[in-house]
Amino acid sequence: MCENEQTMVSVGDTITALATPNGTGAIAMVRVSGALCGALAAAIFGREAKNLPEGRQCYSDYRALDERILDDVVWGFRRGPKTFTGEDTLEICTHGNPLIVQLVLGDLLARGCRSAEAGEFTRRAFLSGRMDLTQAEAVMDLIHAQSERALQAARLQLQGGLGRHLERLIGALLEILARIEAYIDFPDEDLPTEDRGLVVDSLANVLRGTERLLATHRYGDMLRDGFKTVLLGLPNVGKSSLLNALVGRDRAIVSSEPGTTRDFIEERMHIGPHLLRLIDTAGINPSPGAVECLGMEKTFERLPEADLILWVIDGTEPLPTPPQQLMPYLTPDRVFLVRNKADLIGGGTATAEGDGFKGTGDLGAVSLLSVHTVSAFTGAGLDDLRAAIIVRADALRRSVAGDEHLAINARHADALSRAGAALSAARAGLVAAVPAPIELVSSDVRMALDALGEVAGRVDNERMLDALFSTFCIGK
Amino acid sequence: MSSDLQIYEVIVCGAGHAGCEAALAAARMGARTLLLTGNLDTVAQMSCNPAIGGQAKGQIVREIDALGGEMAINTDLTGIQFRLLNESKGPAVQSPRAQCDKKAYQFRLKHTLELQANLHLFQATVTGLIFSNGRAGQREVVGVRTNLDLEFHGRTVIVTTGTFLRGLMHIGQNKNEGGRLGDFSAKTLSTSFIEAGIELQRLKTGTPPRIAGRSIDFSKMEAQRGDAKPTLFAYHDTRDDGPLFHVEHDMIGREQRLGWVPGSDQVPCWLTHTTERTAKLVRDNLHLSAMYSGEIEGVGPRYCPSIEDKFVRFADKPRHILYLEPEGRATNEYYINGLSTSLPFPVQVEMVRSIPGLERAELIRPAYAVEYDFAPPTQLLASLESKLVENLFFAGQINGTSGYEEAACQGLVAGVNATLKGRGQSPLVIGRHEGYTGVLIDDLVTKGTSEPYRMFTSRAEHRLLFNHGSAELRLEHHARTHGLLSNTRLARIATKRVQVDQWVTQFEVTRPGSDLGLGQGTWGDWLRRRQSGTDGGVQLDVLPEAFLALASAVRDEVLYRVTYAGYLAREVRHVARLQEVEKIKIPASFDFGAVQGLRTESLAKLKATRPLSLGQASRISGVNPADISILMIHLDTRRRSL
Repeated sequence: MCENEQTMVSVGDTITALATPNGTGAIAMVRVSGALCGALAAAIFGREAKNLPEGRQCYSDYRALDERILDDVVWGFRRGPKTFTGEDTLEICTHGNPLIVQLVLGDLLARGCRSAEAGEFTRRAFLSGRMDLTQAEAVMDLIHAQSERALQAARLQLQGGLGRHLERLIGALLEILARIEAYIDFPDEDLPTEDRGLVVDSLANVLRGTERLLATHRYGDMLRDGFKTVLLGLPNVGKSSLLNALVGRDRAIVSSEPGTTRDFIEERMHIGPHLLRLIDTAGINPSPGAVECLGMEKTFERLPEADLILWVIDGTEPLPTPPQQLMPYLTPDRVFLVRNKADLIGGGTATAEGDGFKGTGDLGAVSLLSVHTVSAFTGAGLDDLRAAIIVRADALRRSVAGDEHLAINARHADALSRAGAALSAARAGLVAAVPAPIELVSSDVRMALDALGEVAGRVDNERMLDALFSTFCIGK
Repeated sequence: MSSDLQIYEVIVCGAGHAGCEAALAAARMGARTLLLTGNLDTVAQMSCNPAIGGQAKGQIVREIDALGGEMAINTDLTGIQFRLLNESKGPAVQSPRAQCDKKAYQFRLKHTLELQANLHLFQATVTGLIFSNGRAGQREVVGVRTNLDLEFHGRTVIVTTGTFLRGLMHIGQNKNEGGRLGDFSAKTLSTSFIEAGIELQRLKTGTPPRIAGRSIDFSKMEAQRGDAKPTLFAYHDTRDDGPLFHVEHDMIGREQRLGWVPGSDQVPCWLTHTTERTAKLVRDNLHLSAMYSGEIEGVGPRYCPSIEDKFVRFADKPRHILYLEPEGRATNEYYINGLSTSLPFPVQVEMVRSIPGLERAELIRPAYAVEYDFAPPTQLLASLESKLVENLFFAGQINGTSGYEEAACQGLVAGVNATLKGRGQSPLVIGRHEGYTGVLIDDLVTKGTSEPYRMFTSRAEHRLLFNHGSAELRLEHHARTHGLLSNTRLARIATKRVQVDQWVTQFEVTRPGSDLGLGQGTWGDWLRRRQSGTDGGVQLDVLPEAFLALASAVRDEVLYRVTYAGYLAREVRHVARLQEVEKIKIPASFDFGAVQGLRTESLAKLKATRPLSLGQASRISGVNPADISILMIHLDTRRRSL
């Protein structure tokens, strides 16, 4: 149930966070502090742990756990105690793209780091005596201001949907814990027969709720960063023209020369109530040249983060086979099939199948996609496409029922995913062929409560006892 | 007014479970100690049920033993039934429990006090404290006044008033002053506390009727017997041979009692239950109950409700289980566990007789509720010394707790700390990660309590580390630092630790021979597979012979640590993370008002509780992480500017 918990970390875990402001910029810096830094640098940048260059800036590919290269980065490693925090420190400068930052942070968490709490780097700096009086005073003012702001923001959010949702989850978890603890702490009492099935079901419910909240991480990103819409298609189907038509001015370099767009072109625009981020990518060429190949890889890299993929095809041509890399995302809620050049054919919106496409081979998942026939040239069909995009963006928001403004940030997501993992472990322990000792299940449930408490505020054990004593008649 | 001319190092007021441990701890550390009690015949009296231990409490008793206290050995030697609770669950939540012979328990403990060097016993009721102005102008206690017009002077005073401080007993509308039926009430001492600015509040507790055994029809009840292999409380594997005292302390006499053989000749308890008629009697007479007619202002415990509470709050539950517990071998008196009430006596009689097997029961003592003063424990330091009066320590029910074990462990800590205070040494503070005693005291002084506080295993966030077998290993360093155990015993504990550590390592690096057919991996892997049921069935006797030859206390500890290694490692990491903030101390003289930026609510709570570490501050409900950051930076700034 906790296989990877075997290795012991001496004192304090390794923490990480983005050190530069959130958002797009020239560079972004991710800071890591703690005992793992050396091992991390060695693993990520393919160095020998013993011979890590110290205090020098190095230039390397960032290789993630799954061997993918996330970015080329500049990094520096310093051994404690002569660092900001007094601990081993690793600083990684990536290109200033929030997606890259997200991937890097995600990778570091997967490698055993923990998201730093607000002010935690500074706290460690104090603990190791790395700050003098004047610095301390300056940072105190800063943290004060920050925490007041953060507090205000958090309070607003906690009064709203997130707080209510978390409170519901915490309430349910406290009841689960009360059900478990009653049988541990009062074994001689005349309690009803222990109902583990009920506990398993309730755990599954809380787990679902946690995952649903986690899903809003995406919506939270969308609110901050916009609804990410990637334009994808073969060269010369008119992706850039479509982008310009949607934006309403010549942003992309529109050219009839195939393969002109080799890098990203990104445009932000308001569409209905949403901020739309239209990302135009290099065309997908079945037999790409060397330069285009680079662009294409970048295109596919953008797919996982895309809230919506507009698969643009030339309406005058038969339906092409979808590119392999698109296959994992080929569902009606992620991909719209956009038939451009409607001015050269007839108009209308239908499913791929209903429209009587003459596709190449089995249509499969493609047949379920909604098809939008547009003309970037005349503007025909664009309003319908806009409306459909709004519907998609709205649908994303509704992934948490009953709350329309719910959005969690990366720190919340980290805590929630730890809660989720602990809940899964608890559930697994209960349903195992030989169930785990109940105090271990309780330990997992408490981990989940602690994690939720990091977002909602510390959950006092008194509340579990309140639940216990109101549920069971205890007392000989 | 005359006075005893000597100046004691420690004066203990009250000889209940807290007072006895306090006096013994102080005297065993070599402090000249005076133990005052209103009645020497009720020393270490079990005022309520005749049992020691149970969930979490059993572990506390083992911790008391690990710190040189008396409760564990006294229970082993006077117990008449032993059971290990939660045997079907994991070791962390298994707890020993024992029924005791109440009189034997008292007599042995009284005799222990009598034989203890450096300890002076005296029967007198403390009526007030003697204060003077200390060095920094702070009020300090210098002695006590008694009802005999005798004054006693001491460097430190430990107050353990139990339920006696303005104790008021209720049976229906009948009221009697006193802390226990047949005993007195300490009425004037409260004035001393109020004079010193110590706030007092009221709590309530209750006890069921006692009946004559000859009037019970046991054939209508189910017997509950002790374990064939009793689990004892004291660490007999490391205990000194010979007399049951600290060998290096002077003994006035040799052990003179005939010890009972622990766990021999056990007696059963008996199970029965309430009936519809019991429920009807309660409902019909609810208006006559002291608790339901508004006679009682004190708050009672939720985990120990009166029978009135049970029928009112859980009206859908048709009946409630009752246990008849013998009060001892040489008495015919039985305790009806589960029938605590403050209904009028005639109703109690009818109620008892509505229970199967008790149709002809003779009540020999009525049930009653008792209200008493307690001093909210957030007025204490973690050493159990008052923040308002220097050298004054509190232990037991006056701190809002309930239970013999909870009282005893506080008494022990207060006795040690009063001695240390008098000698100008820093106090014994047991961490929340070290044992239930640490959790108990930290909860009390940090959060306070609104009902009589009882320990539950679920109150301890690091419960998995608190298996009852490991108390000695967890607390050894405290015992060593303060000289609470004999050198022989400390040496034996050290040996035990080495053995445990060696075998834990060995099981993680060596593999069972392939001829055993135990599958891949180390012994540790096999043990964990065995526990999770994926490789069950094979008995532990395949383990190496050298291991099987070890003492069972060592074997059990090794098996626990190996089998639960993953979870225990997670706990240890959690503890390490929390320790970082625990290490940052807040001076007692710290002015929270000078910290800019704290929220008003937090400031008020911090001022009221006066935490002594950042960790303690973070556990005060209502103080949020931002406040803690601000506080931390302020503390650091302050430290550097000094």
